Amino acid sequence: MFKTSKIFFSLLVLVVLVWQVPACYNFFMAKSVDTPFTLYSSIAGEFATLQADEDKKMQYRDASGREYTEEQFDSILPTFYYRQLVTDGRFPDSIHGIAVTPRQVQVSNFNMRISPLDLNKPRLGIQQMLESMSGRVDLELPDDAFRITPEGMKFVKMETNAIDHEKSARFTQMMKQKGFQFPAANISGNPTDRKEYDEGYVMLDAAGKLFHVKQTVGRPYVRAIALPEGMTPKHLFITEFPSRKWLCFLTDTEGHLWVVERESYDVRCTEIPPFIPEEQSMLIIGNMFDWTVKVNRGTSECYYAISAQDYTLIDSMSYQTPSHTLPGLSFTSTKDKFVKPRIVR
Amino acid sequence: MIKAIFYKEWIKTRWYLLLALLVSLGFSAYAMLRISRVCSLKGAEHMWVVMMQRDAIFVELLQYVPLILGLVFAIVQFVPEMHHRSFKLTLHLPMRATSALASMLSFGMSMMVLVCAPALLLMWAYLQSVLAPELYWHILLSAMPWYLAGMAAYLLTAWVALEPTWGRRVLNLVLGVLLLRIYFLAPAPEAYNDFLPLLAIITLCYSILSVLSLTRFRDGRQD
Repeated sequence: MFKTSKIFFSLLVLVVLVWQVPACYNFFMAKSVDTPFTLYSSIAGEFATLQADEDKKMQYRDASGREYTEEQFDSILPTFYYRQLVTDGRFPDSIHGIAVTPRQVQVSNFNMRISPLDLNKPRLGIQQMLESMSGRVDLELPDDAFRITPEGMKFVKMETNAIDHEKSARFTQMMKQKGFQFPAANISGNPTDRKEYDEGYVMLDAAGKLFHVKQTVGRPYVRAIALPEGMTPKHLFITEFPSRKWLCFLTDTEGHLWVVERESYDVRCTEIPPFIPEEQSMLIIGNMFDWTVKVNRGTSECYYAISAQDYTLIDSMSYQTPSHTLPGLSFTSTKDKFVKPRIVR
Repeated sequence: MIKAIFYKEWIKTRWYLLLALLVSLGFSAYAMLRISRVCSLKGAEHMWVVMMQRDAIFVELLQYVPLILGLVFAIVQFVPEMHHRSFKLTLHLPMRATSALASMLSFGMSMMVLVCAPALLLMWAYLQSVLAPELYWHILLSAMPWYLAGMAAYLLTAWVALEPTWGRRVLNLVLGVLLLRIYFLAPAPEAYNDFLPLLAIITLCYSILSVLSLTRFRDGRQD
């Protein structure tokens, strides 16, 4: 017994050392990797960057090294700095020969962040479905919540904690009628009343088929979305952007980003090189002409410019972001919300 | 003989155990009372929405209660005996020293379960009347590492308290504090779900650390 306890004690000391020594080193020696704020400028036809120099003075440049003044920089990124241009009376009547108004720019602009932290976390398994056609300007939270079981959709009245059998049967029946196989393999929605409109949920059923499910005037709206041949969806991200152009973004098992257009339900692949959503974060800053897509790939930060019309790749660049962390044992990670022992390199 | 040791430990700690049970139940009851007040003032719907949208679990005040109860329990059970050197008498009983120690720790762990289980049962009984299973299990599973921390605090404090020399006691204390930190790293509710079974096994294994202190005590190590 003494021998066993001595071995266990030594093991604990080792675990604590392998956990705490790298953690302390990384805490004290951590250096922030300062990459410039980068956006694609369709006016300049290349990426434009903004970074503070050693004297904290802002440097405005493009990828070719040309320098700009602050005002010139606003002008080469008119959709990003439209408010400044409107204030200065410099907002253009047209961009690339297309007449634009500040309101159009405001509505078509969007930001989308896909973070491993949002994917790798415990799921509650119960959520709310808003009424997407209430006839009121403001959205209201419903008085029930739903779960998806192998038998179907179950709505629970929150006040009484009792199943609403009639509503549950209505939704389950409609979903089965449209070919939905229970339970759902994945589900994405944004059940908040702090948005302009509601598109309910996009769901992957047990057979890997994609569906759009929402509640309109208390009734279920279920639509099967045809997927391109050979494409296997993995992660879903409902968008609900003010422009109402897309229903959702999704990634497939190979790491490609796809978009589902809202009106036509067309599923189209973007030319962003594959990424791993469970490990790499993606930020999309989009406007009516192009998207700047930033993918954090660990040791590099990659930027891609994508056409907002046909999702083709226009340009790309990257910054090296070498890591100076000491490998060791960790119980938490910046890539998930779980506590478990793992080796961090 | 084991029965006699259990009886001795019971006589030593019974008033503290009563207090610990009251504190444990009291904190749980207070947490449930707060939830009940939220339900009566703003409706059960509000509770559900806050839990679903903001990751709230409403029982954060219980976080360090089992830890403190376990730590104080080990102090109450072992420190007076070590201080008065009466632990030596236990080792002279007609049974193996490790068996005597195992009996003392088993008594302690059983009492910790008896102190913590009613609190968890109280929460489970009340929460299922107002929340869906997904939501009340969300709360109970999030609280589970705190109760394991209580068990770990008891076993690690016993290990420190039984250690005869101050130098080694400080080393054990530092190691114990770092090990207890593992139970409080949750970045979100239910963060420990996958790790809980392994963490429970590791927690039970802390009991064999006291054999090191016992051996050093028996060998006559002292400052």
